[in-house]
Amino acid sequence: MHAVVSRGLTVKDLSIVFETDDGVVEAVRGISFDVQPGERLGFVGESGSGKTTTALSLMGMIDPPGRVVSGSAMLGDLDLLTLSPREHAARRLVDIAYIPQGAMNSLNPVMRVGEQVEDGMIDHGADLNKAARKARVAELLRQVDLDPSVARLFPHELSGGMKQRVAIAIAIALNPKLLIADEPTSALDVISQRQVMQTLRRVQDEMGASLILIGHDMGLMAQFADRIMVLRRGLLVEAGPVRQIFRAPQDAYTRELIDSVPALERRPATAPPVVREASKAAEPPVIALEGVSKTYKRGLFDRKGNQALKPLTFSMASGTPMIVSVVGQSGSGKSTLGSLLLGFIRPSEGRVLAQGRDMHGLSAAERRERYRTVQAVFQDPYAAYNPFYKVDHGLAEPLRNFGVATRRDDILAKMRSACELVGLDPDQTIHRFAHQLSGGQRQRLMVGRAMMLGPKLLVADEPVSMVDASLRSSILGNLRKMKDDLGVAIIYITHDLATAYEVSDYVLVLYRGRVVEAGDPERVIKEPQHPYTRLLVASIPWPDPDRHWHGDDAAEAELAALDGAGAPAPCLVRSTLPGFTLKV
Amino acid sequence: MADAAPPAAPLEWGSSARFWRTILLYLGRNKSLAVGVVLLLGLASLVIGGYLFYDVKLAEPLSKMPARPPSADAWLGTDKHGRDLFAVLIVGTALTCKVGLLAGLIGVAVGTVLGFVGGFFRGWIDAAINLLTDVFLAVPPLLILVVIAANLGTSLSTTDMVFVIAALAWREPARRIRSQVLVMREAGYVNNARLNGTSSFGIIFKEMMPNLIPYLMVSFVLTVAAAVLAAVGLEALGLGPQNEPTLGMTVYWAMHYSASLLGMWWWVLTPVITLVVLFVGLYLITTGLDELANPRLRAKGA
Repeated sequence: MHAVVSRGLTVKDLSIVFETDDGVVEAVRGISFDVQPGERLGFVGESGSGKTTTALSLMGMIDPPGRVVSGSAMLGDLDLLTLSPREHAARRLVDIAYIPQGAMNSLNPVMRVGEQVEDGMIDHGADLNKAARKARVAELLRQVDLDPSVARLFPHELSGGMKQRVAIAIAIALNPKLLIADEPTSALDVISQRQVMQTLRRVQDEMGASLILIGHDMGLMAQFADRIMVLRRGLLVEAGPVRQIFRAPQDAYTRELIDSVPALERRPATAPPVVREASKAAEPPVIALEGVSKTYKRGLFDRKGNQALKPLTFSMASGTPMIVSVVGQSGSGKSTLGSLLLGFIRPSEGRVLAQGRDMHGLSAAERRERYRTVQAVFQDPYAAYNPFYKVDHGLAEPLRNFGVATRRDDILAKMRSACELVGLDPDQTIHRFAHQLSGGQRQRLMVGRAMMLGPKLLVADEPVSMVDASLRSSILGNLRKMKDDLGVAIIYITHDLATAYEVSDYVLVLYRGRVVEAGDPERVIKEPQHPYTRLLVASIPWPDPDRHWHGDDAAEAELAALDGAGAPAPCLVRSTLPGFTLKV
Repeated sequence: MADAAPPAAPLEWGSSARFWRTILLYLGRNKSLAVGVVLLLGLASLVIGGYLFYDVKLAEPLSKMPARPPSADAWLGTDKHGRDLFAVLIVGTALTCKVGLLAGLIGVAVGTVLGFVGGFFRGWIDAAINLLTDVFLAVPPLLILVVIAANLGTSLSTTDMVFVIAALAWREPARRIRSQVLVMREAGYVNNARLNGTSSFGIIFKEMMPNLIPYLMVSFVLTVAAAVLAAVGLEALGLGPQNEPTLGMTVYWAMHYSASLLGMWWWVLTPVITLVVLFVGLYLITTGLDELANPRLRAKGA
């Protein structure tokens, strides 16, 4: 069972190029490294750094226009780079296995889980009869902390974390010498992420295989890897044991990567919310929710439906700029709340009042007009621009529609100042198509657009989750600037407690559509009380190799008990914020 | 995730000169679109040239000696009624294309409106449109067409044919456009357009429609091909305009008078070869446009 591997993987001078219409792109430039049996090597880098390309070359999965130009990759006495596609196919799963990003998409939706695990064994001629295969599947599922009965289920009946475990089970079925895990938990929430990574670590220890973990999350790397390689633009920037990398980074880029992870220790000082303009305090609140809930129904005959958001009442006073974070896992109802605040969807019960006016009792013209004061920045900077137009279109439209600027020069001047507000060079940004800008530039321009319009309320729905780590703090800084300098009230929706801690004045923790804990970040995130918040905080991978990623078993048990109990537990209100009223 | 692979650049619609240059360059790579366009342009120039330089009145019965094989006098021969088949080819192609293009245009226009209304506004109106489309998609189209055409009787003109065919031509475009709109209305830039204070009308026409142009083009060509097929099918059954020499009616008369048994191959081949050229041209254009509209095919350079 416990495969004994003589040697691990040794890669020497690996170079990979992509031949494109615009010339040759050197994706990987002369990288050398090795992984010993039982060792965990982390590949860190931003998108375009060549980390995935390196891993794919080991799997023989570099397709034209990509080409391996030089190098060797010895696994035992086998050079992985010289194998034919057929030989590679034979070695996969047997010697080397790949755990892909987003296992939810790599499982076949019409096959039972057990059959998919068996498939790999059959393909590689594992000499087992049917009963023995079934027994092996059960054993594998138990190994990845799944119940053997899962074998009979289809992928859609499993949660994301369970699917990722199935992908791990498939990868380890034939005891490979090398496992490559490519951002295996990027689609999971922090709680499942920790559980899946613990499983992966244990399974690898049992097998004694080498493991390469590809990722961009320095926190995860600190908690998981033994050694780390930092890649940038195809070059090896720095490599070393995890403690050395985190304690004494040699390269400025490595330091930048580490510093870009928000940590609870570093909370920048922000102005506490104060009533700026007393005269405005008498005005109706910027936004007020009165018993707002949302129920989604499936089809005509679904009488009950699924209540994504339980009745919620809060209000944010005018003239008191503040950042209120709404944190929770996917499915907690936080995005539903965002859409309700923007008036994109109708509440099932209750009213959403913007400056005292119900968002849904308006005429079509008034409904458009409300976006003069209520704006948003969304998660995906790639989808935010209409591919048909240059980026100017998205900036000029609101200026014209809201009558902020009508003359061409005025519009251009406004757009230029929007770029400058977020540190973009207007000459390199305006009059370009979105695909000519990087993801980070696009998202910064979106923030610039919001700043330019000067709304009273900004809904920021995961604005930094798809942006490279090094740009996160600059975008979050812009949000703070909007609050401090422009007096905007901001609702920051995120799954990331660390960034919520960094920017917010007040935190609402959403669990299954209900606010379970609320208060200032010092209390809620540093000293969480509700078991769900405790579990969330304990699951964050901190960028500190010596801080044990222990999770919180007691919180898990308490949460299970709470879920089991019929009546929901009351919301824990830890502190209050002037200008923000939450009714529980 | 191939880190280094550059994203496929969408077509850029800058100045018109750049636009045409892009189109020409693109046609060089997209062979099936190029061949399809050449075939249809060839057919079109034959028809236009024919109207300009040939006496198309010869397509009327009793213009020439009937049932003659191709000769210097009648290049493609004559049929049993004494029609000059070269003139029939010119007039017939024009008439058949007229039916196809107009029915296709009406079908795509109606289908696009229905698809947008349903997909964008959702709710009961979407349910109603969807139900209607489903019902019409489920019934065999030829059955409905035969019933309509038979009831209109023998006095049918090609203009009537347009409306008969258009009565069913909207179904596929409606379904296709609706599915595109459903995806697109969730796109970030549509949400941003709402935040920009753009009206629903503006979102449909300024934000969504331009991105649908390739789909609309594919839809249009597909619908035209289907409309021509439906028209030829009805006419070959004898349910077309009796007094006009469309390609389908020519096929019908050739069958009616057993042209092939009589060895009058020129009577059969003239409409059949023209129809083959027309259909192959339309087919190649749809495959070519499909590649244009589907970025995944485009990126592979298939």
